[in-house]
Amino acid sequence: MSQIQERYVLTSSQKMMVFILSMSLYGLSNMITELVPSAYLGPIEFSIEYFAFIPLTLCMLFHPLYAAVGAALGEVIFGEIMLGQFGGFGELEKFISFSLAMYIAGSLVKDPRNRKQVGIAAITGVIIHQFISMMVDIGKVWIGVEELEAVPGLAESIVVIEGFAFLNDVLFSGILFALLPTLYLVPRLYGKIEPLLGMKPRDNTMKFSTGEIVTPRLIVGGIVLALLSFFFEFLSETDFNVEWEADFGENFMWVSIGVSAVIAILTVILMVTRKGKNTKEGMDERKVQ
Amino acid sequence: MEYRQKLFDKLSVEQVKIELLNTAYGNDQTFLAKLDPRTLFIWYLFFGFAPWFIHNQAILLGMFAFVVVMMLIARSSPLIIFILCLGLLGQGGYLLLAAWFFGGDLSTIMPLLILTMKLSIISLASISVFTSMDPEKLSDGLLKVGVPGQVSFSISYAYRMLPSLIEEYHHVFLSFRLRGKAPEKHGILYWRSIAYFVKIAMLSFYPLMLSTSKRARTTVEALETKGSFFAFNNPKVKAIKLAHLTFRQRDYWFLTFSLLYVISLFIFGILYS
Repeated sequence: MSQIQERYVLTSSQKMMVFILSMSLYGLSNMITELVPSAYLGPIEFSIEYFAFIPLTLCMLFHPLYAAVGAALGEVIFGEIMLGQFGGFGELEKFISFSLAMYIAGSLVKDPRNRKQVGIAAITGVIIHQFISMMVDIGKVWIGVEELEAVPGLAESIVVIEGFAFLNDVLFSGILFALLPTLYLVPRLYGKIEPLLGMKPRDNTMKFSTGEIVTPRLIVGGIVLALLSFFFEFLSETDFNVEWEADFGENFMWVSIGVSAVIAILTVILMVTRKGKNTKEGMDERKVQ
Repeated sequence: MEYRQKLFDKLSVEQVKIELLNTAYGNDQTFLAKLDPRTLFIWYLFFGFAPWFIHNQAILLGMFAFVVVMMLIARSSPLIIFILCLGLLGQGGYLLLAAWFFGGDLSTIMPLLILTMKLSIISLASISVFTSMDPEKLSDGLLKVGVPGQVSFSISYAYRMLPSLIEEYHHVFLSFRLRGKAPEKHGILYWRSIAYFVKIAMLSFYPLMLSTSKRARTTVEALETKGSFFAFNNPKVKAIKLAHLTFRQRDYWFLTFSLLYVISLFIFGILYS
């Protein structure tokens, strides 16, 4: 019953079409970019980071959620599993950040024929994605190195390296492989590709269910603010300020207590799930037999 | 450099397809490949996550030795391992240089070495676990753990469609080259030719988007006819599909051994450091 009510948005098979389309196209492009070598000019990297224009275009033309999730899954399947480099948890982080960024970019566009909107959304998508991956990379060193502040130079250098890589990716890959092709493709494909999937083109009166409660602008603002706050918190902790040093010992104690609490909780969860799984397994087998 | 040569040899379209099937189905005879996917997931859950929070060098060293042995058992391809080492060394070295630039000294090396060791434990664990699972096993395992049926469908769909997708892309690319005009001069460091090829590579997606959307529609219509949307997350269908997944004796042995090893490692590491 609920399907009939939601029908004016997209039917489940149309969602699946968008999902499959975006997955196979972005997956294919990922395979190509994985195989192309990158060139370095000093610390500046000239490489095809990714063909971000494909998911961006599809997110702007179709329902952004299904196109974004499809593209992220396509990257994991084609670019990682099929090339034999599936990385477990690392892929989860990529999956979440990429689909989030593409979804936000897609829902920023209300009218795909408006070039200004398309351009701003495309570059915003790339910036969000690169920003999240930069924060994750910095966070990895932060968590991975014990007493990061005690090691001279490391905290600053990781921030500088990652910040530089972020700018490099946004300015080089972001403009060449996301902004320009998206601006070229979206107006051309608009109205042509939708009938092939049996749906109407997106018009500017279209609204998304979540869009009514939480506007994309709010999400973007919230995420950027949250990340910025984390970033500044991090900067102040790693010390650029001598006065804070006294506080630091105490803070660090809390961090280590927090970490040990997380480990304790994790081990408990691990044990419980192990037990749960084993018993469930036994029951399942009995049922099947 | 020998590996780079090998990499370039593999770049022809046919070769890529063969290589893909090889990485997917190449090693199904190893000890790890015979384990249940859930066993491997549980093992990976610890070795892929715990190293971040362990700062004890003895424990890390012991875990590293364990994953290296696992990798040898899994018989991972040397190319992947080589790429991994290169990446790890490159990142570590780069950080070290930058840290020295900001006033670090020799004491910077130790934390960086530990960080590199953590990263290599995690990546070796994931390589040995995931290269020893063929795609069916991985998707069955994911389905069993509770990942939606669409994901495992997508994995099989990708393996089925990839050869024809690559071929179609290749044809479009070649026809763009045939009708277009390559730059007469290569330019400094071939930049003109590179820019030309990259541009064609992107333009080729325009026709491909249209044809793939037709294909996606056909696929979904076929799925509808078969009633697959109903079947994806139906518990009864799942039970029949996953009936072959069972914990055997070797799964229990493997998990028990890993657990004992890790516990003794922790006791040893905490007592002697």
